[in-house]
Amino acid sequence: MFGHIMLTRMKCLLRDRQLMFWTLFFPLILGTFFQMAFSNLDKTESFKPIAAAVIENDAYKNNSFFRQLMDTVSEGDSRIFNLTRTVTAEEANQLLEAGDIVGYYTADGNQVSLTVKSSGINQSIMKSFADQYLQTSSAVEEIIQTNPQALQNGILSKLSDELDLMKEVPIGSAPLSLSVNYFYTLIAMACFYGSFLGLKEVTDIQADLSNCAMRVNMSPVHKFKAFLAGMTGALIIHFAEILILLAYVTQILKVDFGSKTGYVLATAFLGCVLGLSFGSLISAAFKKNENTKTAILLTSIMIGSFLAGMMAMNMKYQVMKYMPILSYLNPVNLLTDALYSLYYYDTLDRYLLNMGLMGAFAAVFCLGTYLIIRRRKYASL
Amino acid sequence: MVIKVKNLVKRYDELLALDHLSLEVHKGEIFGLLGPNGSGKTTIINCILSLLKYDKGEIEVFGKPMKPESYDLKRDIGIIMQNVAVFDELTVYENIDYFCGLYIRDKAERKRLVREAIEFVGLEDFTKFYPKKLSGGLLRRLNIACGIAHKPKLIILDEPTVAVDPQSRNKILEGIVKLNEQGATIVYTSHYMEEVEQICSRIVIMDKGKVVATGSKEELKGMIALGEKITVETFAAAQPEHLAELRKLPGIESVEWHDKLLSIKSGKGRNNLEQVLDFLKTRNISFGRIYSELPTLNDVFLEITGKQLRD
Amino acid sequence: MPVFKLCLKIIKKNLVSISLYIGIFLLIAALISLSGTAEQASGFSASKAKIAFMAEESTPLVEGFRQVLEEQATLVELPDDKEKLQDALFFRDVTYVVRIPSGFTKDFLENRGTRLEKTTVPGTTDNAYVDLRVQQYWKLANLHLAGNLGITQEALAEQLKQDMAANTTVNMAQFQNKKDFSQSFAANYFNYTAYSLTSVLILGISAIMMVFHNKDLRRRNFCSPIPAGSFTMQLFLANLVYTIAAWAVIAAACFALSPQEILTGNMPYLLVNSIVFTFCMSCLSFLIGNLVTSRNALSAIANVVGLGPSFISGVFVPQQFLGDTVLRIASFTPTYWFVQGNTRISTLTSFNWTSLSPVFYDMLIQIGFAAAFLSAALMLGKRKQLQA
Repeated sequence: MFGHIMLTRMKCLLRDRQLMFWTLFFPLILGTFFQMAFSNLDKTESFKPIAAAVIENDAYKNNSFFRQLMDTVSEGDSRIFNLTRTVTAEEANQLLEAGDIVGYYTADGNQVSLTVKSSGINQSIMKSFADQYLQTSSAVEEIIQTNPQALQNGILSKLSDELDLMKEVPIGSAPLSLSVNYFYTLIAMACFYGSFLGLKEVTDIQADLSNCAMRVNMSPVHKFKAFLAGMTGALIIHFAEILILLAYVTQILKVDFGSKTGYVLATAFLGCVLGLSFGSLISAAFKKNENTKTAILLTSIMIGSFLAGMMAMNMKYQVMKYMPILSYLNPVNLLTDALYSLYYYDTLDRYLLNMGLMGAFAAVFCLGTYLIIRRRKYASL
Repeated sequence: MVIKVKNLVKRYDELLALDHLSLEVHKGEIFGLLGPNGSGKTTIINCILSLLKYDKGEIEVFGKPMKPESYDLKRDIGIIMQNVAVFDELTVYENIDYFCGLYIRDKAERKRLVREAIEFVGLEDFTKFYPKKLSGGLLRRLNIACGIAHKPKLIILDEPTVAVDPQSRNKILEGIVKLNEQGATIVYTSHYMEEVEQICSRIVIMDKGKVVATGSKEELKGMIALGEKITVETFAAAQPEHLAELRKLPGIESVEWHDKLLSIKSGKGRNNLEQVLDFLKTRNISFGRIYSELPTLNDVFLEITGKQLRD
Repeated sequence: MPVFKLCLKIIKKNLVSISLYIGIFLLIAALISLSGTAEQASGFSASKAKIAFMAEESTPLVEGFRQVLEEQATLVELPDDKEKLQDALFFRDVTYVVRIPSGFTKDFLENRGTRLEKTTVPGTTDNAYVDLRVQQYWKLANLHLAGNLGITQEALAEQLKQDMAANTTVNMAQFQNKKDFSQSFAANYFNYTAYSLTSVLILGISAIMMVFHNKDLRRRNFCSPIPAGSFTMQLFLANLVYTIAAWAVIAAACFALSPQEILTGNMPYLLVNSIVFTFCMSCLSFLIGNLVTSRNALSAIANVVGLGPSFISGVFVPQQFLGDTVLRIASFTPTYWFVQGNTRISTLTSFNWTSLSPVFYDMLIQIGFAAAFLSAALMLGKRKQLQA
C-alpha cells in the first residue's frame, strides 16, 4: 500500500513538467549562467603589473636613485610595472588618452609627479610608489644631515636590502574564492524550490484543497500514512534532483565544495527535508488558491536567497555582521552557511550549529504540517 | 439499513445548510436525492462521508457510526464527486489503478478489477490517455470508474451527469442501474428530475436543507392534488366566459389560455379529458392537437414549495 | 479598434507582474545611483584598502604605524576571533589582516628578526597596495636605526611620521575638456535595463500574442468581418504602444535618478542604442509569443531568456571580467551588442564619424537580430494561419 501510493505520487510529480522545470532544470541553467559570469571573478582582483610610463627627460636621466628604483620594480616576475619609456610628455599623453597606460611619471629635479586620467586602485599604487621614492629620499637626506658618517657606513646599500619583515599566516586551507558562495546559495535555493513538491503533496491530500484529495480521504487508508508515502516519494525525487545539481556543479562546473563530501551530502539531504516541509507547511496553513501560495513561497525564497547573498555576496556578510539573529533565522542562509563552513572552516562547530538550526526548522515545519494535516474533518469544502 | 441520518444540523456561519435533516437509505435501492442547486445535497453527502464537520445529529452507515477513521466502512463505499477528481498526471488506467489500489492490496485482483471498471464505463480505447485529452463525457466516465473499481456495496454519486452529453448521460444512467442490479445500494443526487424519475426507486426531495417529501415517484405524485395536465390547441381566441365555464367543471383546478394554447390542470379522476372534449364540442370551439400529461416531480416540487425545481 | 482595445485590456490584466519587474528594477537602480554618486569626485582621490589592524602591544612605533596606515586604508574594527576574521576576509570586508605580536617593537629595535604577521587574500591588487605602505614604514625605520644609532623610539616614530607625509603631486589629465563618462550612473543604468526590458517585454507582448494564438479564438477572429490586414496592424500597434511605454518609463527613470547627466553629449547615443535594443527585444517577444502556447512555459522562458543573456553579456558582471569563450557565446545574443554599444558610447569623448562608427555597427547588428526575429515570427504566424 505504502509502495503503491509512493510510486504513483512519484509518477505524478515527475510528469508535472512545470514542477520539474523549476526544481531541476532552472537551478541547472542558473548554475551554468553563474559559472559563465563568475568564472573570471577571482582573476579580477588579482594583481597584474600596471601599464605605466615614465618620461625620460633630463631630470629623469640625472636622478639615478629614482631611475634605479623604476628599473627594479619593472623587472622580473614580481614586477609592479610594465614600464614604457617615452621621450616626450606628448607621447605619454597620447598613450594615456588611448588607455594604453594607467599613468605616467614626470621627474622634475628631485621631485616626481604623476599624471593620470582617473582615480582607481592602479593609479593609487602608482602614487604610492612615487610617494615611496619621495619618502625615502627625504629620510636619507635627514639621516645625512644629522649623521653625515652614515653615508660612509653604507647607508645607501641598506636601501636595496630586502626586508624580511612579514610572515604570511594562512587562514584556513580553502582558497578565498569570490564565486563559491554564489553556488552555495544556488544549492540552497534549489533545496527550497523543493517546497513546490511539498505544496503539491499537501494539495493532493487535503480534502479542502483538491477533489482528488477528497477521494483519497474516502479510501480506507489512514490519511497520515498516505501523506507520508507521498512525502517519501517527493523526498526521493527532490534529493535525486539535488544530487544531480551537486554533481553538475562539482564535476562539470568544477566548483569547490571542500573535501568533506559526506557532510555536503548530509547537508543536501537535510536541505531537501527543510525545503519540502516548508512548502507543505505553507500549503497546509493557507486555504488559498495555489497561485497565491506559489507567490508566497517564491517571494520568501527570493528574499531568503537575497539575504544569503545570491544576488550580491556581500549581503550575507552584512547581515551576519549587523543582524546576526536574522542570519540564524533565515533557513536559506543556514543552508548556504553550512556549505560555506564545510568549505572554509577547519572545525565543524559552525557547521553543526547550522545543521542543528536547520533540523530545528525542519522539525517545526513538519510538526506544524502534521498538526494541520491530522485534522480529517473540514468546516467547509 | 445502509445509511441512517438523524436530525442533522450543519451551519456555514450564518447560513443554515442542513436543518434537522433525517433520512434513511435501505439496502438494495437506488435512492434519489432531488433538490434545486444550493438545497444542501452535496453538504449532506459530505457529512455522511464524514468529510464535513456538522453541528448536531447522528449518522450511521451500515449500522455503525461513521467517523473519519471508520476504515472498515470506507472499504465498502464508493464515491463519485460532483467535480471530476482524477490526477492530470496519470493516464486513465493509472488513475483507476491508483484509486483501486487504495482499497485492494492484491495486485492480480486489482488488475482484474481495473479492467472490469474500464469495460464497465466503456473506456477501453482510452486507457493510455491523459485526462486533459478526454472529452467532458469521457472524463465523467473516468470519474465514475475511479469510484466503483473496488466493487463497493454502497455507491454515492453526487451529480455525476453535470455537463454531460445525452449519449454519455444515458450510458451513465444505464450503468448505475446495472450496478444496482449487481447488488450495490446507490445514492444518487441530482437536480435533473428526469434522471431521478428514470432510475430511482425511492426519492427524497430537499429544499433549503430540509426534506420536503419522501417516497417512490408514484407515492410522491400521489401526494399532490394535481392529477392531469391537459393542453388543447385552439384556433380562435378563447372567450373569457368559456374559460369561466370551464373552471366550473368538476375536478378542474385551473384554466389558462395563452397564445392559442389552452392549459387545463385537473385533479385526480378518470374522465377529465372526456368532459373537456365534450365542452369544446358543445361550444363549437374548433381545436387541433390535444395532449394530456401526468404530473412530474417538478409539479410535486412546485406544489410543495411554491417554486420551480429549476430556475 | 476592437483588437487594439482588447490588447490594452490584456496588458492591464498582467500589469501587476509587469510592474513588479519594473518596480524592483527601479528600486535597485535608485540604490545604485545613491551609492554611486559619492564616488564622483573631480580631482584625484587615492583608493583606500580595508585592513584589520590587530596590535597586541601599544608602543609609539606601533601607534605611528597605525596612523601611517590609516592615511591609505580604512581600518575595520573586528573582534580578534579566527572565524570572524575568516569571514571578513572571505567576504572582503577586509582584504588584509596585519597582526603585531606582543614584544615586536622591542625585538625590531634590537633587530631580533621577529616578524609581523599578515593574513591576506593572496595575490590581490589591494594586497600589493597595502604591502607597499607596510614595507615602506619599517624599511624607513630600519634606515633610521642604521643611520642614526641611539635614536629613541619616540623620536623614530616622529621622524617616520614626517617622512611618510611626503606626497606626490598628481595631475589629472583632461582630454578635450570632456569628462570621462564611463563611470557615470547612466552608462551602468542602461546596461541594467537590458534585464528588466527583456523580461517586461516578453511578459507583456507574449501575453497578448498567446491570447490571440488560442486556436478557437484564432478561428473566431478569422471569421470576423475585420480584414486580416487591419487585424495585424492593430496587433502591431498595440505591441508598439506597449513597447514605447515600457521604454519611456525606464528611460524617464534614468533622468529622474540622475538629472545632471541629461545634457551630456553621450546621452542621445545611449538613448538611441536603448531604443534599438528595445525594438529588438519586442521582436524577440513577438517571436516567443508565436512559439509558446502555455502560460506556465512563458514564465519559465521569460526567466531564462531574461537572465541568461544578461549574465553572459556583461549586464550583471562587466564584459571585461568575462571569459573569452563566454563573450563569444554572448555575441550570439543582441544583449551583448547592446552592452558593448553602451560601453563604447560611454567612453566616447568626441563624436565624429570615426569614433561613432563602431557604435553604429553595434546598433546595426541589433537591428539585424530584430529583423531575424521578426521574419521568423511572421513565417511561423503564416504557418499557423494555414493550420487554422
